[in-house]
Amino acid sequence: MTTTEWIGARAPRREDPALIRGRGRYVADINLPGTLHMAILRSPMGHASINSIDASEARTMDGVHMVITPDDIPDHITQFPVVWRLPGQKDSGIPALAEGKVRYVGEPVAAVVADSRYAAEDALDAIDVDYETLDPVTDPEAALEEGAPVINEDWGDNVAIHHVFAGYNALGECHYDAEAFDNAEVTVRGRLKIGRHSGIPLETRGIVADWDEIHGRLTVHSESQVAHLFRTELAASLGLPETAVRVLTPNMGGGFGNKWDRYPEDLLVSIASMELGRPVKWIADRREGLMSTVHGRAQVQEWEMALQSDGTILGLRGKVINDLGAHLHSVGIGPAWVTGAAAPNQYKIANYYCNVIAAATNKTPASTFRGFGGPEGIFGAERMMDKAAKRLGMDPAEIRRKNMIQPDQFPWFNAAGAVYDSGNFPACLEKALEAADYDRVRAEQKELREQGVYRGIGISSYIHVSGFGPSPILGYLSYYTGGYEGSTVKVDPNGKATVYTGMIPMGQGTETTLAQVAAHHLGIDMADVRVVWGDTDQTPYTGFGSAGSRSNVAAVAVIRAVEEIKAKAVRIGAGMLEADAEDLEYADGMVSVKGAEEMRSVSLAQVAQQAYWAHALPEGDQPFLEATYVYDPPNFTTASGCHVVVLDVDTNTGRITFRNYVIVDDCGPVINPLLVEGQIHGGVAQALGGALLEEFVYDDEGQLLTTSFMDYLLPSFTDVPDMEIHHVVTPSPHTDGGFKGMGEAGTFPPGAAVANAVTDALSHLGVEADELPITPSRLWSLIQEATR
Amino acid sequence: MAQVAITLNVNGRNQTTLAEPREILADVLRDRLGLTGTHLGCEHGVCGACTVLLDGEMVRSCLLFAVQAQGAEITTIEGLEENGELHPMQKAFSEYHGLQCGFCTPGMILAGIDLLKRNPDPTAEEVRDDMGGNVCRCTGYQKIVESVLGAAREMNEVTS
Repeated sequence: MTTTEWIGARAPRREDPALIRGRGRYVADINLPGTLHMAILRSPMGHASINSIDASEARTMDGVHMVITPDDIPDHITQFPVVWRLPGQKDSGIPALAEGKVRYVGEPVAAVVADSRYAAEDALDAIDVDYETLDPVTDPEAALEEGAPVINEDWGDNVAIHHVFAGYNALGECHYDAEAFDNAEVTVRGRLKIGRHSGIPLETRGIVADWDEIHGRLTVHSESQVAHLFRTELAASLGLPETAVRVLTPNMGGGFGNKWDRYPEDLLVSIASMELGRPVKWIADRREGLMSTVHGRAQVQEWEMALQSDGTILGLRGKVINDLGAHLHSVGIGPAWVTGAAAPNQYKIANYYCNVIAAATNKTPASTFRGFGGPEGIFGAERMMDKAAKRLGMDPAEIRRKNMIQPDQFPWFNAAGAVYDSGNFPACLEKALEAADYDRVRAEQKELREQGVYRGIGISSYIHVSGFGPSPILGYLSYYTGGYEGSTVKVDPNGKATVYTGMIPMGQGTETTLAQVAAHHLGIDMADVRVVWGDTDQTPYTGFGSAGSRSNVAAVAVIRAVEEIKAKAVRIGAGMLEADAEDLEYADGMVSVKGAEEMRSVSLAQVAQQAYWAHALPEGDQPFLEATYVYDPPNFTTASGCHVVVLDVDTNTGRITFRNYVIVDDCGPVINPLLVEGQIHGGVAQALGGALLEEFVYDDEGQLLTTSFMDYLLPSFTDVPDMEIHHVVTPSPHTDGGFKGMGEAGTFPPGAAVANAVTDALSHLGVEADELPITPSRLWSLIQEATR
Repeated sequence: MAQVAITLNVNGRNQTTLAEPREILADVLRDRLGLTGTHLGCEHGVCGACTVLLDGEMVRSCLLFAVQAQGAEITTIEGLEENGELHPMQKAFSEYHGLQCGFCTPGMILAGIDLLKRNPDPTAEEVRDDMGGNVCRCTGYQKIVESVLGAAREMNEVTS
C-alpha cells in the first residue's frame, strides 16, 4: 500500500485522541460567561385542557430571571414546521409550549430560567397549572374508531394521513390486482406489531442560545444533525433574518435520527436569551429525555401474501397503522411512508398494495429514528416470507431464493416506486448461510430438540434505500428540503488541504471518512487534510445533514471538489513545467509530464504557492487553489444484505440465548472497514434492543410508565452477541467510488431475524413471534398459551 | 441555598470549592472544577457514563453528593494520562475502535481499568459480565470487549 491509498484503509479515527482523554466538547460542557439555566415544566397528563397557569410565585423566587408561559411568548414567534408534507397529510407544527391543552405526558407547559439548573427546578414546583382532564386515547386502532377522543381538534379526527401504495413503478409494470389474491393457490396472513422505542442517545438533548444584542446575532450551540436546516427554521420561527443566526454543533453523544428534528426547547432558550441578553442553557435530564425526545417504530401491520404452491409470490397487500403520537413532528408521517415503500424488499413482487394510516394518540410524537421506517417494512416482509414458507412446508432459505431479484435485473423498479440501483441478493443469502453453517445447524436442531434444547434459525434479507436523495425526488414526495451535499476543499499555500462539510458528525467517524476520501484523491498524507464541520458560518449549506446514511453523498462532493482542484493544479503546473496541460497528469500529490524519461514534476505545494502568489496564472484562472462542489445524487443507493441468527429459547422462562449471529452486508466499496464494522455492530445492537427489550409503555390514561433506565431497558454487554461480518461488494453504478450508505443498515434485519428464529425454535408449539419486543414475559405467555 | 466548602483531591491535586450540599459529585466535578470529561447519561445510576474512581473504587458520581466525597481521592478520565503518556486502556479503545460518539467512553475506560485491577487477564465473557453496569448506545459492545482484552494483553506484557 502506498501512503496515499486511503480508501479501504483501517485508518485510526482522528476523533479519538480528544474523546479518550475526556476532552471532547459536548453541548453540556459549554459554559459561557453569564450563562443562565432553563428547566421545563411538562405535562403530567396524557390529555387535558389547561384552564390557567399561575406562575406569580415562581417569578419572585430567588435566582429566577424569567418564567415563560404561553402568554410570555411574543406574538411573532411561529411554530416549527413539518418538513415532509405528503399530499393529504394533516397540517400541524411544533409549538414552543402547549397551546390551551396538553396532548402527551412530557409536553412543555412552561419554562423557568434561573441562575442554576437547581434553582430553575425549584421554581417549577411553584408554578400552578389548572388542568381539566380529557378522555385520552393511546391505542392507534382505537384512535381511528368513530367517536374516539379527537386530539387535534382542527383535524376533525385522529387520522394524519391515509396513503395508498397501489402497485406502481416508473416502467408501468406493477399493479394491484385483488383477484390474484382470490384465485391464488395459497394465501398467508399475518398481523404484526412493533413496540414503541427510539434511538435514546446516551447524551440527552441540550442547547445553549447566546443572543448578542449589539450585533443582532443569535449563536446557538446545538446537537442538531441538520444544522443548516435548523438555522433556516429557527430564524423563520423567531422572525430573524437567517444571517442573524449561527448554529454551532460540537461533539454529539449519539443522534440516531432523534436529533434531526426541531424541538420546543430550541425556541424557548432562544426566546429567553433574546429577552434576557444572556446565554441560556437547557440540558434534558433522562426522564424528560425519554418523554420528550421523539419516539419511533410503533406500528400495527396486517399483511396478506398470495403464492403459487411452488412458493412463487403472486402478490403482497396490507395495512400499516402507524402510532404517530400527539402530533406530526419534523418529518411528518415519513417513516410510515418508507415502511410502505420498503416492504417489497428483495423480491420480485409486481402485485402490491399497502394502505399506510397514521393515527394520532396521546403519546410523545414519533418521528426520525435510525432506519426511518425501513426496519419496520423489512420486519413485515421477512416475517411474511417465513409464514409462507411454513405454510408451504418449504425451507425459509428456499422460498427467498425462489423469489429474489437477480443480479442481472438492476436497476429494479419495485412496486412501491423505489428504484434499486444494484445488488447481488442471492450472493448475500448464500454467503450468510454458508458462514452460519446452515445445513449443519438445521440437522443439529432436530437432535437438540429431542434433548429439550429449543434452537431456532432465523433469516432476514434486507434492502436499504440509502443516500437520500435526489432533490427532485424529494420535491416529488413533497419533502421540503434539498437532498444534495456540498463540500469546499481548500489547498493552502503550503499544500495542505482543508475540507469543509455541512455533515454533522454524530459519532460515526465522518471526519475520518472524509479526510480519507480527500487524501486518497489528492494523493497526499491523511495527516495533511483537516476537516471543518459544525459551524454554519463556515460550512456549505445542507438541507438534509447527517441522516439517511449519507456519508456516501458527502464523499462524492469531496471527490468532485478535489477533481476540480487537480484540474487547476495541472493548468498551473503546465506553466511551471513549460509543458502543455494535456501532456501532464496528476498523481500522488504531484503534477508530472506523462511518460517523460526524466521525472519532470512539481508538487502540490509548489503549485499551491504559485496559485496564491498569482504571478503567472493561466488565463481565466483566479488566485487560490480551492473548489466547491455540491453533489445532488441522480438516484438513491441501495445497500442490501442478509442476517442469519441462531438462538436457543428457554421454554421455562422465555429467555433467549444467542448461539451465532452472521451478517453479510453490501454497502458497495468500503472506505474504512473499521468504521463500517462499528456501524453495523451498533445498528444491530440498537435493533436487538427494539426486538427484545426496549419499549415505551403507556397506561390507558396516557401515563408513560417507562421514564427511567430501570423501566426502559437498553441492551447491555450481555444482551448483544458477538457478530461475524462478511461483505459482498456491488458498487453503486451512479456514484463516484460506488459507495452506498451504511450507517443505518444494521437496524433493518435483526427484528425479523430474531422473530423468525424464535418462531422456528418453537415450531413444535406453533408459537408465532409476531410482536416486538419479544420480552421474556411476552414469550413466556405465548409458550403458556400454546401448551395449554 | 447555603454553600459549603468541599475539599477533594482530584487527579492528584487538592481542590477546594464552594457548593450546595445537594449538588451531586458529577455536577461539582463538571461545573465547579471544569472537569467535563465525566459525562451524565441518566443521573440515576444505571448508565455508568459518570463513573469515576473514588479512593480507588469505581463509583457513579451522579449518585453521590459532593459533600460525601469530602477529603477523598478522585480519579477522573482527565487524570489517566501520566507525563503525556496515555493509559493502555485509552490507547486500546482507539486502536480497537471501542468508541464512536465518545459519550460513554470515559466511564467505560475507567470501568475497564477497574476490572483489570481485579482480574488482570479476563476472558471475553468475564469482560461482558463485569462491565454490564456501563451502557453504550453506539458500538454494540463487541469492540469495547476487544479493547479491554487488548489493553489486558498490553498491560500484562509490560508487567511480565
